[in-house]
Amino acid sequence: MKLTGVGASEGLAVGPAFVPQTGRPEPERNHITEDEVEPGLQKFRNAVEAVVGGLSETIDGLRQSGNEDEAGIFEFHAEMAEDPELASAVEERVKNLESPEAAVLAAGEEYAAGFAAMDDEYLAARADDVRDVTGQIAAELMGRAASGFEALQEPSVVLAKSLAPSDTARIEKGLALAFVTAEGSRTSHVSIMARSMGIPAVVGVGSALEGALNADTVAVDGTEGLAITDPDRETVAEFEKMSEALAKERAALDEYRHVEARTSDGRRIEVAANLGSASEAEDALGWGAEGVGLFRTEFLFMERDDLPSEDEQYDAYSAVARAFGEKPVIVRTLDVGGDKDLPGVDQVHEDNPFLGWRGIRMSLDTPDLFEPQLRAILRATSHGNLKVMFPMVADVEELKAAKKMLEKARAGLEEGGVELGEVQTGVMIETPAAAICATELAKESAFFSIGTNDLVQYTLAADRGNERLRRLQSADHPAVLALIRQACEAAKKANIPVGVCGEAAGEPEMIPKLISLGVTELSMGAPSIPRAKKVVSEL
Amino acid sequence: MVERETTVGPEAGIHGRPAARFLKAAKGFSSDIVIVKGDREVNAKSILKITGLAKKGEKITIRAEGEDAEQAVETLADLISADEH
Repeated sequence: MKLTGVGASEGLAVGPAFVPQTGRPEPERNHITEDEVEPGLQKFRNAVEAVVGGLSETIDGLRQSGNEDEAGIFEFHAEMAEDPELASAVEERVKNLESPEAAVLAAGEEYAAGFAAMDDEYLAARADDVRDVTGQIAAELMGRAASGFEALQEPSVVLAKSLAPSDTARIEKGLALAFVTAEGSRTSHVSIMARSMGIPAVVGVGSALEGALNADTVAVDGTEGLAITDPDRETVAEFEKMSEALAKERAALDEYRHVEARTSDGRRIEVAANLGSASEAEDALGWGAEGVGLFRTEFLFMERDDLPSEDEQYDAYSAVARAFGEKPVIVRTLDVGGDKDLPGVDQVHEDNPFLGWRGIRMSLDTPDLFEPQLRAILRATSHGNLKVMFPMVADVEELKAAKKMLEKARAGLEEGGVELGEVQTGVMIETPAAAICATELAKESAFFSIGTNDLVQYTLAADRGNERLRRLQSADHPAVLALIRQACEAAKKANIPVGVCGEAAGEPEMIPKLISLGVTELSMGAPSIPRAKKVVSEL
Repeated sequence: MVERETTVGPEAGIHGRPAARFLKAAKGFSSDIVIVKGDREVNAKSILKITGLAKKGEKITIRAEGEDAEQAVETLADLISADEH
């Protein structure tokens, strides 16, 4: 049987099928005797502690990899596990001679039923969270793992309706050869995990998965978005051949890591990396980054109760500048919106944070936030080749206002005797308005960088996270290409370079189109750099 | 015993992020604290009890008993009546 879905993480794998058993654990026994009450309560407290400990590790791991939203889910789980009311409900049941595991399952079920009956969809869905957590405590009490993955003992292809963060986090390294899920999109948790684990994944295969759950063997093509259950010998042989070819291709790409990307007619295309934090700099250089086309500065501001000081920012910007030396590093000023908390910034709830007070809009209104960042960037210029880029610009007034603040920061520093190098300022073209006003913006900019992810979302009025809008989530759309063309033409007239720093920059089929429109810099997730250089070299 | 009536501020009511913030603050006080809504009275330090308890615009009472009761009621009532945060 053939399953088709979204190729969420590339690569090939053939292996035994594994279907995690995710049902609620059954209590081993329901009743206890009078003298088991006290030890039972102690066992319950220990089990809660063990579960919370496990959750804390998961939370730390997610925080470190920047998955703040998922970390929030597990924090909620940890709060539930430690809940004093849950503890007293369990205590009462155990005193009535229920076994601790039966007690925690029953108490959990009561709360779950309460949530499920609520008339709010979000709250009703919390029922599953309560079941998940109390199930984990019960499993811990019975000395078992609760993940449903305990039976996963040999390297296998994991088939599941969906895989939660707690699932993938519990899989031992090397035991998952590939993921195939009924639900999900390229941006789902499972897809992100698969890409970072370097294993193939096909997601969103739909109800067809049910027919595949009894398979013995599954062949997965994560590049094409294809899974074949119980493949015949020929198919397996074909997969093995393709797998070898893929390994060869990867090896061949290695040659391109450190070449200067140039088209066959001699046009130089700079292939750079997008960085989410200073710690990624070395890795990016290893992949062959010729600069940083987008250095996101948000990481400095997240997961803390205060704002980063100017010096702290200076250290981070200097570190990246030093790592790249002569190579250009484009620092994007803070781009957060109402969907993220910032200490000391008066944010209000917004129904549409992506259309809200964010990026340069927030920075211009919040000098206490913006000025230290600008000063830190300016000071760090002495360590390398830094450029400044402003996000979410909609018109030239915003750009002029931002540049004025930059000049003010420069004047302030120079008065204090700090010597500063030249620093170029550019604009991120990510609103349709910026592309349409490109001629005006080009007069005030040293470069453009097209943020295709947001440009696509805003141009096509299609939410990036909405799985049903997949068709409208690509830069390869006439409307988006027309805006990119407009920006490139304006830049050409003003004689300034144009880069692209969205997903499209690393997509082999988009690269020729972008270059033909006049783009001369491509910035992407670092692992895509060798392939992009190869694509450029073959043009 | 100290108590104060207030109105739920966050758009989403008491759940998700506002609930987490409230819980964190509540756990910082040693007093026994309850939220009263209509004839329901729940432990303010229980995520299972406070989640979904009230929606935006609904009236609730924060009641506390203990050493830091006054401060607890002030802090928590302010927190839960703010629009967001």
